Amino acid sequence: MQIKLSDLPYGERAVVREIRTPAHDLNCLGLRIGKELKMITKQPIKGPVVVLLGELEIAMGLETAEQIVVETGTDA
Amino acid sequence: MTGRTDRSPEAGTVVLMIGNPNVGKSALFNRMTGANAVVSNYPGTTVDFTSGTFIEGGHTYTIIDVPGTYSLEPRDAAEEVAVRMLRDYPEATVMIVLDATKTDRGLYVALEVMERGMPCIVAVNMMDAAHEKKITVDIAGLQRILGVPVVSTTATSGEGVRDLAEMLRKAQVADIGAIAQRLRGEEPEHESVRTCGGCGGCGGC
Repeated sequence: MQIKLSDLPYGERAVVREIRTPAHDLNCLGLRIGKELKMITKQPIKGPVVVLLGELEIAMGLETAEQIVVETGTDA
Repeated sequence: MTGRTDRSPEAGTVVLMIGNPNVGKSALFNRMTGANAVVSNYPGTTVDFTSGTFIEGGHTYTIIDVPGTYSLEPRDAAEEVAVRMLRDYPEATVMIVLDATKTDRGLYVALEVMERGMPCIVAVNMMDAAHEKKITVDIAGLQRILGVPVVSTTATSGEGVRDLAEMLRKAQVADIGAIAQRLRGEEPEHESVRTCGGCGGCGGC
């Protein structure tokens, strides 16, 4: 199932399928299409989200997370 | 010493250390030059550049510790310094420093640097942290694909730093097209005569 990264529940894993914002800023941080990530922090009051990619933790604003489409329920 | 670096012939080859924030560039710089640049476990510790010199094999190298950057499209002041340094020293050799536990992220800026056609050498630093996390890095494979010398280092203990210094003179201009071909499993038609089979033992003979 494809959802927005901002809607990925805490502790869940997903695979990045689409980046609808200019991808450069995320790509150079290691977040690319096809990468598996895990949601590790969601802050209240529209605060930032933090995801884990392998050994990497990446924090981003909620607006950015809303522009990333991820697929849940895959083993990829 | 900080500020404008000496460009006289005595300054020898200028070496720019480029890499993501917090990959150990300053620690490596201190190891190589005996300097005392501020090192801490926070990204963005180096916001201006520091330079120092060392002599290896009778050749003088002026090494510049550049602030960490994720890409060559700057998003903050420290990244702008990094991009400006590359522009100001077009004749320099670039030492790309990667964190062994996060090599794929570092390769983004590494490939951007390689696209500029400057002679490069890659240092895969923090190998001790990688060992602790049971992460192995295929140094020989990376060297074969990139076509530039790749050396594993642990700046905190000094492991591999001597090899890195010796290998600086073998820095090579990477061929982005050939890298793409190798990644697709094809061998470039005109393999660089200076690129070896990638045994990892010599750093590109």
